[in-house]
Amino acid sequence: MGRNVGEWQNLTLLMRAAQAGDSRAYSELLRTLLPLVNELVRQRYPFLQSQDIDDLVQDILLSVHAARATYDPTRPFLPWLRAIARYRMADSARRYALRTANEVPSEHAPETFVAKDANMSGNGYGDAEALRQAMAKLSYGQRQAIELMKLQEMSLKEARVVTGTSIGALKVSVHRGMSALRKALRSTK
Amino acid sequence: MTMDTDEFIKRLAADLQPVRPLRPAWTRALLWMGIALPWVAAVVWNKLMMVDVVQVTADARFVVEQAATLATALTAAIAAFRSAIPGFDRRILLLPLVPLGIWFGSVGHGCVQDWVRLGAEGLTIRPDWDCLPMAAIIGIIPGAAIVAMLRKGASLHPRVTLALAALAVASAANFGLQFAHTRDASIMVLSWHLGAAAVLSALGGCLGDRMLSWRPAHSLVP
Repeated sequence: MGRNVGEWQNLTLLMRAAQAGDSRAYSELLRTLLPLVNELVRQRYPFLQSQDIDDLVQDILLSVHAARATYDPTRPFLPWLRAIARYRMADSARRYALRTANEVPSEHAPETFVAKDANMSGNGYGDAEALRQAMAKLSYGQRQAIELMKLQEMSLKEARVVTGTSIGALKVSVHRGMSALRKALRSTK
Repeated sequence: MTMDTDEFIKRLAADLQPVRPLRPAWTRALLWMGIALPWVAAVVWNKLMMVDVVQVTADARFVVEQAATLATALTAAIAAFRSAIPGFDRRILLLPLVPLGIWFGSVGHGCVQDWVRLGAEGLTIRPDWDCLPMAAIIGIIPGAAIVAMLRKGASLHPRVTLALAALAVASAANFGLQFAHTRDASIMVLSWHLGAAAVLSALGGCLGDRMLSWRPAHSLVP
């Protein structure tokens, strides 16, 4: 992270503009942060696959987004960013450890009942292609709401932070999106 | 499922809403005091009206203890608000120790004086549960206010933050309680007032994760 002082001051200016609602400045800020955050994650977890690194980087950027009101433009940007990144990485590691501690490796999935319906794979909807096509037909807002709240399991408040829309609008988008998905998938059966 | 990071950034930046940066910690602490102190005064109003100003100001130890109590409340609140900002300077956590040390030192000095003057009798701790309901009432609004204000931050150390907030609330409550009942022996102040502040701070430390945990989003990591 050996950048010069001018570059860090530029980050402060971009964040100040982002706090005022300038989405172009914010986009530039996030793109500038991307290699820095990537470097932080790779330094801490050199063994992670690039896909996992991308996920973690996105997590950190999402945290930066949620915490942007806490940044004081009169203070240095880097300690603020590093603290958020460290917290997010530690949080991810903690949750990973908790998750794996409760996992028991097994070669055979235990059968519950003889009936076919009770022994379906738990990996989600059976026809992935039909689901993908149905998702593609949704409006942008509906698709985003379903991705955030159903696939990424965000709460309404968290999804509101990401989307910048109201909780009411999110509820409507999820409701209409799920109805449209059900209708589309029913027609493909 | 992982979105392409480029698309992810586009979405975060799209329809970006302006946010108002949080005010500096000391401003927020003063704002909190502006909520807490009128409430404390309102609860002990009847007692406050009976205070003999001349007599009170003549008692140097009482004045020093009250000033230290108030300063502890203010500095603990500043430290709590500052600790809810990512990347804060950890030296700020030491700030409340100065007035707390003066408060503790003054009460300790009073204990020694009582012991010299009255012997073991001067260090007798008596039950003082009558104070508890009023202490609880005094703490309600300052406690609710500081938690609500802290939740607007992003506390990455919620245990520390809530322990400091609890110290601030306990100190503000103690400030009012000292006017609400007759002057206690120093050992009573040490055990019930400073003791309660310590217990409340410890409780705050235990509950910090539940009350102030900052989880902006679920992880995308499967």
